[in-house]
Amino acid sequence: MSTVAATGVVVPDAAARSAASRGALYPAPARRRRRGRGNHDAGWGTYVMLLVTAALFIAPFYYMIVAASRPMSEMVQSPPPLTPGPYLWDNITTALEQQNIAKAIANSFLVSGVVTVATLLLCTLAGFAFAKLRFKGKKFLFTLTLGTMMIPTTLGVVPLYMVMAEFNLTGNLLSVILPTLVTAFGVFFMRQYLIQSLPDELIEAARVDGATSLRTFWSIVLPIARPGMAVLGMLTFMTAWNDFFWPVITLNSSNPTVQVALNNLGSGYVPDTAIIMAGTLVGTVPVIIVFLLFGRQIVGGIIAGAVKG
Amino acid sequence: MTATVSAPNPPAASADPGRPAPPPRHRGLRGLLFRWEAKSAPYVYIAPFFLVFAAFGLFPLLYTAWVSLFEFRLNSEMTWVGLDNFVWLFTNEAFYNALFKTITIGILSTVPQLMLALGLAHLLNYNMRGRTLFRVSMIMPYATSVAASTLVFAQLFGRDGGFANWTLSLVGLDAIDWRNGDISAQIAIAVIVTWRWTGYNALIYLAGMQSIPQDRYEAAQIDGANRWQQFVHITLPGLRPTILFTIVVSTIGATQLFGEPLLFGGGTPNGGAVNQYQTLGLFMYQQGWEFGSLGRAAAVAWVTFLLIVVLVLINALIMRLRTRERLSDGGSE
Amino acid sequence: MFTARRSAGATAVIMAGALTLTACSGSSEASDPTTGANGETVLTVSLFGTFGLDEAGLFDQYEAENEGITIQYESTQGEDKYWPALQTKLNSGSGTADIQGIEVARIADVVTNQADLWTDLSQTVAADRVGDYVDWKADAATTTDGKVLGLGTDIGPMGLCYRTDLYDAAGLPSDPEELKQRLGSWDDVIALAEEYKANAPEGSAFFDSAGGLYNAIVSTESEIYYNAAGELVVENNAAVKDAFMKSAAAGQSGLTAKLEQFKDPSWDAGFGSGTFATIACPSWMIGYIKGKAGDAGSGQWNITELPGGQGGNWGGAYLGIPEASKNKEEAAKLIAWLTDAEQQAKVFEVGGNFPSNTEAFDDVADSTDEYFNDAPTGEIFSASAQSAPTQILGVGDGVAKNALTQALLSVEVNGVSPEDAWANGISKITNQLG
Repeated sequence: MSTVAATGVVVPDAAARSAASRGALYPAPARRRRRGRGNHDAGWGTYVMLLVTAALFIAPFYYMIVAASRPMSEMVQSPPPLTPGPYLWDNITTALEQQNIAKAIANSFLVSGVVTVATLLLCTLAGFAFAKLRFKGKKFLFTLTLGTMMIPTTLGVVPLYMVMAEFNLTGNLLSVILPTLVTAFGVFFMRQYLIQSLPDELIEAARVDGATSLRTFWSIVLPIARPGMAVLGMLTFMTAWNDFFWPVITLNSSNPTVQVALNNLGSGYVPDTAIIMAGTLVGTVPVIIVFLLFGRQIVGGIIAGAVKG
Repeated sequence: MTATVSAPNPPAASADPGRPAPPPRHRGLRGLLFRWEAKSAPYVYIAPFFLVFAAFGLFPLLYTAWVSLFEFRLNSEMTWVGLDNFVWLFTNEAFYNALFKTITIGILSTVPQLMLALGLAHLLNYNMRGRTLFRVSMIMPYATSVAASTLVFAQLFGRDGGFANWTLSLVGLDAIDWRNGDISAQIAIAVIVTWRWTGYNALIYLAGMQSIPQDRYEAAQIDGANRWQQFVHITLPGLRPTILFTIVVSTIGATQLFGEPLLFGGGTPNGGAVNQYQTLGLFMYQQGWEFGSLGRAAAVAWVTFLLIVVLVLINALIMRLRTRERLSDGGSE
Repeated sequence: MFTARRSAGATAVIMAGALTLTACSGSSEASDPTTGANGETVLTVSLFGTFGLDEAGLFDQYEAENEGITIQYESTQGEDKYWPALQTKLNSGSGTADIQGIEVARIADVVTNQADLWTDLSQTVAADRVGDYVDWKADAATTTDGKVLGLGTDIGPMGLCYRTDLYDAAGLPSDPEELKQRLGSWDDVIALAEEYKANAPEGSAFFDSAGGLYNAIVSTESEIYYNAAGELVVENNAAVKDAFMKSAAAGQSGLTAKLEQFKDPSWDAGFGSGTFATIACPSWMIGYIKGKAGDAGSGQWNITELPGGQGGNWGGAYLGIPEASKNKEEAAKLIAWLTDAEQQAKVFEVGGNFPSNTEAFDDVADSTDEYFNDAPTGEIFSASAQSAPTQILGVGDGVAKNALTQALLSVEVNGVSPEDAWANGISKITNQLG
């Protein structure tokens, strides 16, 4: 079974041809899986290195739990405590009383979800066009796309707010969603990914067989793009979830995202770090749970997508 | 610029992208429609990006350019000053300091970050138990909020009783005042940047590695290549477009570096008492938001923009030269 | 197994649905926020994290006492994030709350440059209140043509906080009365610091930072960075340079712990661990010390007047109404009530923010603080507030103060000579403000 056939494509000619032409260059992907990865089982050294790295990456998150479960004053002692204290629930309760974090989490899921889905679809389309299609002005338009990535954004908030005020969107979740629906980063990423992973002859074969470019996209490009899309989706979701600078300006605490709600926690002349950490924990854990629950689908898709489609 | 950025196709995709397309089989009206679709589709695909950019990116960009010609505080009168803001910038020691610090911190953080990410991705590509868990852990630094990372790294690099100094004391070294030293503060920031972005890049590399056909490894194995040789001769060339992507993105990120040094300084854009870690991003932020001089900040933004363009061009040029070298060596990979 | 076709189609549907959803929820959100569902008036209040109004239960109380009023309150943690957002909103003329907090370092900018963006409170029901505050506080919020753009909440009268246990260990007098007798001038304080250094516990310095010392000294001055005509005078202000050099010398000779205030995590830790024994103490610092030193620090600290009983001020804030507000009258009523003596006294009880309303001084005069060995905090801070000079606030105060504080830090930790540091600081100030 070839990649293309497995997607249930409705252009049998193209499928057969491309599978044939592919076969000459590659072994069939199914074989790739059966034989391939087995040759590269990880040794104990790999496990050790990965365990150490994972520990380093997770440690600050653990420390956040420690800080959220002790009074602020204990965290500034030296040496600081390394084990969780007894106040986790108290601090979380206080944080939840101060801000409507449940609504913020719902809003953040909405914003990040919409942004992620839109980014995946639109950036893959544009990336495909820049990577594999021929059209006039392609070089110029791609250069322009890259160019927009290089614009420093910290100042953009003043004019962006003016634009949103013009559209009457300030305070509205759309003001956070719209500007990030499709990003130059995503377009560039998908272009590079497809240049590397999508053989030209697949596209040509489909074209010869009379498939429109949209059909080619749907049935050939998307399946091959899936590993790249999986990673882009994860990164986009996290970026949207943690986006801070602009949402804090445009949204307010009556309709916040998580980061906006957190920004309003623990006020007073002494920002109470314990409450802030407890709130941060509540605001971060849902994402982590989603990644863990769907990790196999999201990250696992990196492998599976290339094979099964 | 595009030409330099579009890396050569990986060897597997040996078809010549420049050859003329074979004519489609359809004739008549359907054929016309078909050809029309093929011609217009690319523009439709890239249109959403340009629409969003036109709606929300273009005006801020032009506004910033316009404002850089004024003395401008929010909610005060604007005064036309022509190029004075740029003159001020190029005669300002603090600007050159920020430029220099951006470059040193950029090199200190980007190079190890990308190399580590490549190694990590290679390891994650093996067959193993708990693969999903390991991969999800890669995104953890990026998922941990900035506030939480601040707390941790402030503690880690604290002068009195921080872990870094505690470790030094174990091997008999004196405590370091990390945040107030010059090199030490830059190293600390590079560590934070590396921690935050290594897993991010590793995932990107990992996705790229999945698209390298397995049979090339098998063939290499038959030829007696060890794992390292396979990595150098198959993985690296196969990843070229992805590597190019991460280099360009990291270069842009390093030039705009802002969040981590701000966080390290406790939320102020001073970048230390003698501005020892004030990056261009911090310098611009300080002008615009601490001092309220938006005109000057806009000038910094434009100069930063041009700097990035130059850096990306240099990057691409180096890549291209190396490709030529490789080809003139016989292109044996 | 999902096919690519189906999943992609599904995502498109989900996306369209979600967009509609946000559009709907957005439009309901955007419906006129000035009146609520039952016709009651909704007042929005947006502050940064140092007011203590909500913590003292004032908003709930006001809602209970005034039927038909609902208060929507939000508070941003850091003023450095709050102010840019507020400026952006003011600039576009939309999105500001009915009542906005203004930090004292920003009031000169508001009065000088933004008079047309804020409501003149002397033309509202809050007008009767204007005379109730310490003179300089009200003056600073009044434009040259007599518009009052903000009413004062708290001020920051000064004292010196010190660790009795560390003073005892070093053989210094730890009784506040005794200290008061010894400290007639800042030079006396420096002399005491030298004495402390000679017998101090290991790893402990007298002051926390040269910058903190400097800010305490200049807080007693009337003319600091600007003169009454609004001209930048710091370069030739002998009092400022003197304070700078005194502090720099202290930093150079090891009398400070070399910890940047509010930014260095080791500074926070120092309140408990005792890396420093003395800190210049605006009234709001009391709460900070309690938070950072925790329960373990109770009874270790005490507080006395600035040397020679000088008065001074560091910090404080205002409440103002943006011109764009649609509920000016109701907002003015709320401001007048919030800054009334009774309410300010309550905020002091709860959070330690010292009243700017002179009538409240009597209410707080008897306050003592158990944590600080029952020190008469009310008496000390009232005295400081009453004898404080009328401070002239300028548009660039924040920039100037930051530049000189950083310059002092560079003397402490980067080995820059005091003369060079002063020159650097001044050149930064003139580069930015000149």
